[in-house]
Amino acid sequence: MRLPRVEDFEDRLRVPEVTSRVGSVLGIAFTVCFLTGLWSHWQYGPPGWLTIPTSPAWLYRVTQGTHVLSGTVAIPLLLVKLWSVFPRLFARPVLKPAVPALLHVLERASILVLVASGIFQLVVGLLNTVQWYPWSFSFRSTHYAVAWVMIGALAVHVAVKLPVIRRSFSHRVDADEPAAGSRLSRRGLLRATWVAAGLTFVLSAGQTVPLLRRVSVFGVRSGDGPLGIPINRTAAAAGVPDGSTGDAWQLELSYAGRTVTMDRAALESMPQRTYALPIACVEGWSASGDWTGVPLRDLVESMGAPARSRVFVTSLQTRGAFATSELPEQFVEDERTLLALRLSGEPLTLDHGFPARIIAPNRPGVLQTKWVTRLEVAG
Amino acid sequence: MGTTVTRGVLLLAGLAAGVYGAVLLLQLDFSRLLSTVVWLAGGVVLHDFVLAPVVVVLGVLLVRVVPDAARRPATVAAVVWGTVTVAALPVLSGQGGKPDNATLLDRPYWTAWLVLTALVLLATVGASLLAARRDHRP
Repeated sequence: MRLPRVEDFEDRLRVPEVTSRVGSVLGIAFTVCFLTGLWSHWQYGPPGWLTIPTSPAWLYRVTQGTHVLSGTVAIPLLLVKLWSVFPRLFARPVLKPAVPALLHVLERASILVLVASGIFQLVVGLLNTVQWYPWSFSFRSTHYAVAWVMIGALAVHVAVKLPVIRRSFSHRVDADEPAAGSRLSRRGLLRATWVAAGLTFVLSAGQTVPLLRRVSVFGVRSGDGPLGIPINRTAAAAGVPDGSTGDAWQLELSYAGRTVTMDRAALESMPQRTYALPIACVEGWSASGDWTGVPLRDLVESMGAPARSRVFVTSLQTRGAFATSELPEQFVEDERTLLALRLSGEPLTLDHGFPARIIAPNRPGVLQTKWVTRLEVAG
Repeated sequence: MGTTVTRGVLLLAGLAAGVYGAVLLLQLDFSRLLSTVVWLAGGVVLHDFVLAPVVVVLGVLLVRVVPDAARRPATVAAVVWGTVTVAALPVLSGQGGKPDNATLLDRPYWTAWLVLTALVLLATVGASLLAARRDHRP
């Protein structure tokens, strides 16, 4: 037994022409995934220079659906890409002269970082979509930190390989390819890879693209649920206390030291609006619903506060990181932001946030606070 | 010249992003950082020393066992079926979801995967038979 060498592997298909083409598409998928992920991260606490717009209402639905789907589609691409360069793992280290030896070590290290962070992001991201957390780090902060490592290692890798990439793209993929005979050709391998990526897309995209619902048999959600909308977290899972959502429920509304309480009947007697707005989960699924309720700005103005105010929302839920949320001014001012009482014309179900929940255009699902008990208008 | 500048910019931007990510990671407390490192290393080990060698062995078997006419269809099938299956592992795992939430993981994933596998097999056999007929034509 001995360690394999680079020359031990058949090199008919494992050529830079193939690697560059699959790698370029994979690089684009990773970059799209990184950018949409950054955008999603900013929704939770935007940097000072960024004001998240309320229109289009479907923006986050599209960016986050794209985030999860680009990551899912990257899996076949990554597997073929790594297959095509696997022999390089056994390349013997350059020992001297010193400078090439050092460069060789640095390049191998950058590739190790790229492969480790790339696999990590895809695996951890996909497990998050099925709400499976077999690790002891917190998902969001780690996924965010490793994303920067991954995109950095990707940029370094492209910088190192740019001459090879350019050379590979300067001629056809099958230039100087020996006759394939009954075997798969380079062109055939590329086509198979694109088919695999396309199939992966079609088989899961229905979790966010309504037209594909029926064919997306590997989607994490069929899109069905009570009143036509799936549920991310039930009232029981969120630790909403028993009895707190019954007839005794009251909404506390406070502004400038004054607090008013309203029950559900009082809210229902106010002018109601209905809007079609999506629930778009950070996990990549989304669904559009017809929500009916009181525009938040009406409640804010009834307290004598300006429509352009920040509002802190508190939920009855006792578990999970999102028991409170903050609605920036532009969302409060937008009349489509509702304290919703109904979905599809019916009273909300308990798991959809009964007695009342926030629904705003272009917001991640976890910030659409359910089981609202208190609205505090910032002074 | 243009290429050199592009490479320099990419290299510096990449190093900066990587360092920023590393700084963010080092802000995690020790047990979380340890878990992160275990998962970072685990993915590489699983791919480089389990999955990739298995694929190499299967490739050798494919060349030795599969008849000539079936070789190309079988390779295409292996690429498509294998990678799509890996992408579907999270939903096939039976893990995740919540017992009180019927709207998550609400599809018959294993049935779907068996149907996909059967379709790929059928297509492979069909394409192989066609290739064999073509080869035997005078």
